[in-house]
Amino acid sequence: NRMKRAKARHKPCSLKELEVTVSELGLGYESDETVLFRYCSGTCDSAVRNYDLSLKNVRSMRKIKKEKVRARPCCRPLAYDDDVSFLDTGNKYYTVNEVSAKECGCV
Amino acid sequence: LALDKVFGAWAAPASLATRDPLRWRAPVDCVRANELCAAESSCSSRYRTLRQCVAGRDRNTMLANKECQAALEVLQESPLYDCHCKRGMKKELLCLQIYWSIHLGLTGGEEFYEASPYEPVTSRLTDIFRLASIVSGMDSAGNSKSNHCLDAAKACNLNDNCKRLRSTYISTCNKGVSSPERCNRRKCHKALRQFFDRVPSEYTYRLLFCSCKDQACAERRRQTIVPDCSYDEKEQANCLDLRNQCQSDPLCRSRLADFHTNCQASFQTLTSCPGENYQACLGSYTGLIGLDMTPNYVDSSATSFTVSPPCSCRGSGNMEEECERFLRDFTENPCLKNAIQAFGNGTDISFSPKAPPLPPITLPPKVEKTPPLPYDINDSNVLYDTSMITTCTSIQEGGAQANKSHEHSLCFSERSLTTALMPEQKTMTDPKASGSRQPFLGPLSALPFLLAAVV
Repeated sequence: NRMKRAKARHKPCSLKELEVTVSELGLGYESDETVLFRYCSGTCDSAVRNYDLSLKNVRSMRKIKKEKVRARPCCRPLAYDDDVSFLDTGNKYYTVNEVSAKECGCV
Repeated sequence: LALDKVFGAWAAPASLATRDPLRWRAPVDCVRANELCAAESSCSSRYRTLRQCVAGRDRNTMLANKECQAALEVLQESPLYDCHCKRGMKKELLCLQIYWSIHLGLTGGEEFYEASPYEPVTSRLTDIFRLASIVSGMDSAGNSKSNHCLDAAKACNLNDNCKRLRSTYISTCNKGVSSPERCNRRKCHKALRQFFDRVPSEYTYRLLFCSCKDQACAERRRQTIVPDCSYDEKEQANCLDLRNQCQSDPLCRSRLADFHTNCQASFQTLTSCPGENYQACLGSYTGLIGLDMTPNYVDSSATSFTVSPPCSCRGSGNMEEECERFLRDFTENPCLKNAIQAFGNGTDISFSPKAPPLPPITLPPKVEKTPPLPYDINDSNVLYDTSMITTCTSIQEGGAQANKSHEHSLCFSERSLTTALMPEQKTMTDPKASGSRQPFLGPLSALPFLLAAVV
């Protein structure tokens, strides 16, 4: 079981999807309409560059102290899905953009 | 015994084809017919003449002109005469323009019901009706809070194509809806037409014809086409004025004619629809959305529904009766009502293959010569209907037996079997492969089924 969990955590960065209601997106809209929410998840181990190793080393030598830096690549959307339109509980239509990912990558 | 009759019915079209070769040639779309005509000097010159006759402002005087009459006569022998168009085809508008240039010449454009330029819809969406029945089945399993219109929106949102085109028309139609200059209606209509033309009807019909038990659901259904922009008007037009406006646009004129052909209430069918075809009626109803004659639900009542184009019969003067007659085809049309209801409930009543065929009709002896067919012959312009009559009567002619009422019942049940098996028929209706019109292949595809029933 632990092996399974570990494996899942180490899946490479990829697009995943979930069915959620518009209200659950937490954007302040109230609507029971269900939309497909696509997001990016996974590790970026294979995308580690010399930059990341160097940054890690320089930081560990306490040469960088106060600034916030990130010495690991990040799994993020490279492009977003088309607009989503929906009817809310007050029977008004809304269109929101860049809610859902279309393509993921390590950046 | 039954087999002979089946083969008799099957062979009938062939003998007919030799009797009247002109009527039964393969259907050609009007763009192609126009090309064929252009390649022939006599046809193309007559066609040019006719177009000038029809284009004139005083169409009827022009048509009385000898030259125009002569052109018409010649063109009735050309492929242009019985050409059709297809919904969503390439160059649909051009096709329709060609169609009307001939047909306005034939009728003068003064008829209350015009013949549809579109090919008759032969396929049935039994699967779609079944899909709807699964949804309503889930509902009856206990969830009283279910909202079919919300489920339809979910189904659309989960399909990328449906979601994209829905979002496109909503954002187009919703832009500036609350501001004083209002929305861009022309763009909104175009986006709606694209949605209903390009998204499969299993999604679009569910959004448009979902069945409702409460007002929230019915309001969502009414809102489907963003009526604030696409439908509502500060001052409602008079329906006859709106009809004239619609008929000046070849696309709107065609879709309206198609609606009249496929949704005209008939008192001789079980469903009140021509040819018992709900699918054709729903299709031609949605075909009007995004045009001047865009229909919609008039309110958000959950218990009953009324659909209407955005017009009333106020100010009709002495045309009041004609106006009411026109409006009633939307507001009080049993065919349209039954079709919408049947879709919402997932019951395409008489066509589920498991359901028994139409009850055998026993005829009183005095009406032998003109069998009352289960649809209105006058309803339709297409050869579809006549083909069925011929099939039935030719059995009568061919068979020397005395028991005629028995033969009629065979003829009807064969017809219902044919329609029940429409999906299979698809594979056999390649117009290039066959010389006859599609409906003739009906009995042929029903054959294996009938054989099984006999054994």
